[in-house]
Amino acid sequence: MIEQVLSFLGALMDQTGLAHLWWGNVVMIAIGCAMIYLAIAKGYEPLLLVGIGFSCIISNVPGSDLTQPGGLFHYAYEGVQLLVVPPLIFFGVGAMTDFAPMIANPRLVILGAAAHLGIFVALIGAKLLGFTLKEAGAIGIIGGADGPMAIFMTVKLAPHLLPQISVAAYSYMALMPLIQPPVMKLLTTPAERKIRMKQSRQVTRLEKIAFPIVIGIIVNLFFPPVAPLITMLMLGNLFREVLVVNRLARTAANDLMNVIIIVLTVAIGSTMAADKFLTIDTIEIVVLGLVAFLFGTGSGVVGAKILNLFLKEKINPLLGSAGIASVPIAARVSHNVALQYDKENFLIYHAMGPNLAGVFGTAISGAIMLALLGVH
Amino acid sequence: MPDALYGALMLSFIDFFTSMVMISGIGVVLALFPLLNRLAKIDEEALRKSHH
Repeated sequence: MIEQVLSFLGALMDQTGLAHLWWGNVVMIAIGCAMIYLAIAKGYEPLLLVGIGFSCIISNVPGSDLTQPGGLFHYAYEGVQLLVVPPLIFFGVGAMTDFAPMIANPRLVILGAAAHLGIFVALIGAKLLGFTLKEAGAIGIIGGADGPMAIFMTVKLAPHLLPQISVAAYSYMALMPLIQPPVMKLLTTPAERKIRMKQSRQVTRLEKIAFPIVIGIIVNLFFPPVAPLITMLMLGNLFREVLVVNRLARTAANDLMNVIIIVLTVAIGSTMAADKFLTIDTIEIVVLGLVAFLFGTGSGVVGAKILNLFLKEKINPLLGSAGIASVPIAARVSHNVALQYDKENFLIYHAMGPNLAGVFGTAISGAIMLALLGVH
Repeated sequence: MPDALYGALMLSFIDFFTSMVMISGIGVVLALFPLLNRLAKIDEEALRKSHH
């Protein structure tokens, strides 16, 4: 009888998650807790890290049904995989973005491509480490510093790497104020950092309304692989700029964006299962992501200095690093570094030009990559 | 594109320089935007009053 009871208790224990817990789960639960700590105590990207951290914890508790088919986190991930969530993120971003700095300074737009050398350095590095070309492309796009684009490209090229790439992309975006300034200072002189920019021209309402329509047409004509993302970005922006549908623009920029952030973060965290995340690939992807950001920052600054060779009115080369698409973080970094050397040199408006152009730069790089790799 | 280092280098070279050209094209389009103001002018105050 005692044997029967013990056998029954053993069977009951086997059905609990505790019986399947291994050290990897414990490590990932600790990582999830660390993310929540950073969000609350240090204020690092709380909108992202709280959701990602919590769903990372839950997805590493064996037996959790939330991450299994039928569970809510599973369906959140389906929304990412089916590429429903990334375009909706861009829709909300478009509704909150003023593209006037980009429209007013078209000559700075090229910095939005110059700062993307990091994508290709990371891509080549990934290939040298043994990743396939498609995996290397997905890893490289981390250097574009555009979360939705990184997710979009990874789902198309290497969906099995989505947890690592999305966590790396969003983590490095939050760390840009630490990563970028040393590179920017290494590649510029104190005199260059003090260059003041002339005030930009005023952009009219007609131009602001025409912008999303014109760009929507161009992107669908020339870059169809990434058209879903940029089209939704432009739709959100059109809602903002026409001034006659303010309630729709407000919904897109606030309530819808909040819902999508919740869905996105639990989806990303739910993929951070220990058996998939604690691999050598993850370490390599994290290192390559850092390499991409460092080279992207450097190439943007150098790009601005090369541009200055052809300009009578020099631009501040610190604007070059803002060409990395992390809006508005990279622009803010350029502005803050400039302020350290001249307390009255306010670069933020000018830095937003290449920063916004960087979104298109990443999209264009991604579209060309998908076309060259034969992925639709 | 061959799945080899050569393919990665080719992809990177073509992608980087093509995207520079493409985004420069967008810059040229934006440089033409001020011409739109000769075609029409929008009464922003009237737009703001008619919002939904």
